[in-house]
Amino acid sequence: MSLKDLISPFYVWQRAFEKPYTQKHPIQERPGAPRYRGFHVNVLEECVGCGTCETICQNHAIDMVQVEGLEPKPGDSGLRPKFDYGRCCWCALCVDICTTRSLRMSNHYAWITEDPTDFNFIAGADNMSWNGEEYGYRRDDDYHLLRGERVKMEMLAPEEGLKSFEEVMKGYTEEQAKDEADRCVECGLCVATCPAHMSIPDYIKTVREGDYEKGLRILYETNPFSSTCGRICTHRCEEVCPVGHQGEPLAIRWLKRAIVDRVPRERYREILGDEVVENGKQVAIVGAGPGGLSAAYYLRRQGYGVTVFEAQARAGGMLRYGVPSYRLPDNQLDKDIEYIRSLGVEVRFNTCIGREVQFAELIDDYDAVFMAIGLNVPSSLRVKGEDHPRVLSGLQVLDDVASDKNPGVGKNVAVIGGGNVAMDAARVSRRMGANVTVLYRRRIADMPADPEEIHESQAEGCTFVTQAIPVEIKDADNPDQVTIVWGEAEMVADEKGGRPRPVLQEDRMHEETYDCIISAIGQGGSLDFIPGDYRDQIEFKWGKFVPGDYQQTALQKLFVGGDIANNTADAISAIEDGHHAARGIHKFLTGELVA
Amino acid sequence: MNSVDEILDFAIEREQAAADFYQDLAERASSAWMKDMLLSFSKEEMRHKGKLKSVKKGEKLLSSEQQVQDLKISDYLVDVEPAGDISLQDAMIVAMKREKAAYRLYSDLASKVDDPDVKDLFLGLAQEEAKHKLYFETQYDDQILRDN
Ligand SMILES: Cc1cc2nc3c(=O)[nH]c(=O)nc-3n(C[C@H](O)[C@H](O)[C@H](O)COP(=O)(O)OP(=O)(O)OC[C@H]3O[C@@H](n4cnc5c(N)ncnc54)[C@H](O)[C@@H]3O)c2cc1C
Ligand code: SF4
Repeated sequence: MSLKDLISPFYVWQRAFEKPYTQKHPIQERPGAPRYRGFHVNVLEECVGCGTCETICQNHAIDMVQVEGLEPKPGDSGLRPKFDYGRCCWCALCVDICTTRSLRMSNHYAWITEDPTDFNFIAGADNMSWNGEEYGYRRDDDYHLLRGERVKMEMLAPEEGLKSFEEVMKGYTEEQAKDEADRCVECGLCVATCPAHMSIPDYIKTVREGDYEKGLRILYETNPFSSTCGRICTHRCEEVCPVGHQGEPLAIRWLKRAIVDRVPRERYREILGDEVVENGKQVAIVGAGPGGLSAAYYLRRQGYGVTVFEAQARAGGMLRYGVPSYRLPDNQLDKDIEYIRSLGVEVRFNTCIGREVQFAELIDDYDAVFMAIGLNVPSSLRVKGEDHPRVLSGLQVLDDVASDKNPGVGKNVAVIGGGNVAMDAARVSRRMGANVTVLYRRRIADMPADPEEIHESQAEGCTFVTQAIPVEIKDADNPDQVTIVWGEAEMVADEKGGRPRPVLQEDRMHEETYDCIISAIGQGGSLDFIPGDYRDQIEFKWGKFVPGDYQQTALQKLFVGGDIANNTADAISAIEDGHHAARGIHKFLTGELVA
Repeated sequence: MNSVDEILDFAIEREQAAADFYQDLAERASSAWMKDMLLSFSKEEMRHKGKLKSVKKGEKLLSSEQQVQDLKISDYLVDVEPAGDISLQDAMIVAMKREKAAYRLYSDLASKVDDPDVKDLFLGLAQEEAKHKLYFETQYDDQILRDN
């Protein structure tokens, strides 16, 4: 034993003569070590209110609460963590797990107050002396409790993909799906952003547990096109996934697919049920796209007799005639549609409203009508020379491909546009052996197409020429070719905060010759079949319906949805519109509101 | 047409004529929804007319120095016939081109007069028309060229 150890008990006596620390004479705080785990600090603007800190806290010391002045917005619940220092043990798990790294600790450790209830506070929102403190515990850059990398999905190599229309993405194996599902923090921020408000954390949990039947039932509560959406959904949910703040967001879309891929179509009726108790009421639906068929599904489940009027020979709308099979194979779309039809939904093909059957007949003969006719009239370029026979419409090219016809694009193709139609027309042309140049008026970042599709188009060898405005189409020397004149554009900010606008630079013009030009600049709807007598009862704006609550119009029997009535123009919004309209129709006809 | 009032009366009449033009086209429109659209164009012109009437009562016009952005969308588009079965895209082209023509007219008139006040008024009116054109060009960009 050392001498120091021997005399140390006597040192204690030294303390006996010191002034005691009391509330009147508080301790003189010495600064904590620079990485001390002291009181919590939260950067409110960076926190997204995911509640992962609350979930991980072993002492239940964190509650997510509302903060005055903070409103929920996409990707932010508007809630912030409130700490109970009667429970906290300063383990810092909350700081280590925080998805945004907004949560930190200061190196302050003394807090003296007479009222014990004071030790509850909202970090960052309540005015504490340690807010903004430079020192204290932070998670190290290379220390991650959450896995930032998404499990990669096997896909066809670009050069392989170009050889056929085989599906490019191969789907997860069971093990991969579980591994990916494991990354979910179950915050539910995605639910608010998904247009259909699907129960995402719940179905991801079924993947983790391997209970795909339960998963399928959860999917169908809000989405009867799950096989389709598991492949081509615009996955806006992923944009707000908080795991994406420090890495890649959960592959929510692929996990949906992982469930559907594991349940054969033959078992759907047994798992999801097929019982329909007829209620005697009849609803007409115009359009067998995702909007119309989603409404058909939920109405049929409520016992309605449902007749779908479809102008084309096959069901699926743009998912059938637009989206090519390398992204959405026909049999996967059929899987969704067949189950809906198997419940007794009647589809009258080749029956166009306004031609074979009149609008007024529907209004007179049915208890309610839901209209989801989509946008199928391509906008034209309206530049000089556009009626050249080598100028093709993107929709027509895709329609031909879907119908096993050869659109005859040639070997050198220019595609004009930056949306889904343009990307698909470009990739389809590549598969037919053409060199493809995409001309777009704005920048790649402004393209409305899915970023993954843009990326895949590039990987498959499409060349992008951006800020290029077509101004004229001319005959080429070879009659089987066509020449386009285009000018460079400068981007200017939109004064009203809209998307940046390209302005033509007339001194920088170019001329190029191709075997064909595929125009894919946008499309509109065709509402001409609605007779003038109904005009005052239906509101239109910029060529679309303007729906009211529950997708109802002022012509009370008429409900509208999908691309022809929303501004998002994607499958999941059409599906939600259909579901919402089904609720609205049920409410309109029975006075009851169903979930 | 020399005095400020005379010029404003002329401009007001032109807005009324534009409103009548869309009203007439709406009456001939073969589809219910295009009728609505054209009536909304007509209303837009009546709003412009209202604005000029307030100018006559003393409200300020856009300053002739304030340059309005020209997106040049309509410049390279073909002329279309305003017929009863006009499409939304074509109706918007007609509207953009009419506003552009009005802008040209006032700019030309401005270049032909010497009186600085009158010149300024014409230039101000030209800017006003450029603003209307920008409105239709922006809508065309958003509604018709959605994917471009
Ligand atoms: C090439 C392309 C790629 C796309 N890629 C994606 C993607 O990756 N992800 C995504 O989410 N969305 C994508 N979309 C958009 C998606 O397809 C649409 O948002 C969706 O199909 C809209 O559904 P809907 O039911 O409103 O209309 P639609 O799917 O267009 O269906 C409307 C149906 O109504 C029928 N119809 C129209 N008029 C009448 C009438 N008078 N009488 C009877 N029937 C009529 C039509 O024939 C059609 O079958 C893509 C679209 C295209 C064109
Ligand atoms: S984990 Fe981070 S981002 Fe999520 S609520 Fe807690 S402090 Fe905010």
